[in-house]
Amino acid sequence: MKYHSIIVEDLPVAAEFLKKFCEKSGMVEVDQHFLNAEDALRFLNDNVVELIFLDVEMPGASGFDLLDQLVYNPQVILTTSKTEYAYDAFQYNVTDYLKKPFTYQRFLEAIQKVSKKSEQLNGNSDQNHMFIKSDGKLIRLSNEDILYIESMGDYVKFVTPAKKYITHNTIKNLETKVNPQVFMKVHRSYIVNYTKIDDIQENVLFIKGNMIPISKAHKSGVMQKINIL
Amino acid sequence: MSKGDQQILFSFSPELDTAFLRELYGDDFRQAELVFESSLQQLRSEFSIARARFHDGDITGLKKVIHKVKPIFGYVGMSEVQEEYKDFEESCANARSATDIESGFGLIIGITEQAIQKMETELKRLKQYNTQFL
Repeated sequence: MKYHSIIVEDLPVAAEFLKKFCEKSGMVEVDQHFLNAEDALRFLNDNVVELIFLDVEMPGASGFDLLDQLVYNPQVILTTSKTEYAYDAFQYNVTDYLKKPFTYQRFLEAIQKVSKKSEQLNGNSDQNHMFIKSDGKLIRLSNEDILYIESMGDYVKFVTPAKKYITHNTIKNLETKVNPQVFMKVHRSYIVNYTKIDDIQENVLFIKGNMIPISKAHKSGVMQKINIL
Repeated sequence: MSKGDQQILFSFSPELDTAFLRELYGDDFRQAELVFESSLQQLRSEFSIARARFHDGDITGLKKVIHKVKPIFGYVGMSEVQEEYKDFEESCANARSATDIESGFGLIIGITEQAIQKMETELKRLKQYNTQFL
């Protein structure tokens, strides 16, 4: 398995170096490189990644500003030339902190921490299921059972193979709550369990016979997430 | 004698942090060449921006450029230059006017020019070494 990542780094040589390490490790796929936090944030608002390599001091917004505005929680490896940010790194619960320039060995150690944290998250029962309020009771839905979630104005519909559950919520709110390693937003009205996708044709995907539109803004994110051979 | 025996062995110049460079690049001297080339290009371009910021009296802008350039020296085995940049970055943070950092910036100009020369020399050596495999 490869971690989908982005690099946010204003120094091209540092980004090139990091890209090379990611490639060499075979464990990290770099989806995009951004020279500033603003562009990265725009991308992250429409795309889900598992890992961000994040510089702190950049022109315009800082790496911490980006973390403040991020609506979900991918793992973060800070890459900076200053050690003074260690305390902030701790406060933001980042996975690791790499001081530039760093060796391949040090990079691998950081990726091992990412793997370990990822395993912990996947093993965490909170990430494997959710409780929804429907028909006046709290119902436990396992991620594995949810095919997709559809917006219905102020309500959303959770679709499972056996039943559909309607609950008071919004896609925008759920987007930040669901496990990003299982779910992804493919349209302003749809979040899908991407492990359930049967096929994709142009701007439509199919899950157990259900046709779900993919918006233009989310198309690249979907294509990056699925495993195309 | 096999072809392998005829190859020239490469070692980084002793004036650079050779132990760190070996750790950073291992035997991947092509990667080292690319990084040295790219570092030189970025250093030249960023340093001309630094000069412009200094001449405009824009200390905040200058500090940002110095901060951005600083790690470049690490990638080419010049940790002592990186330290000088770090000190100068702090001077910029504490400066009230351009006059406060005038001598410091003069020193940085000299150090940077020397660093560029060393990087050019090393890049030339790396290119010579790497072309033997073409």
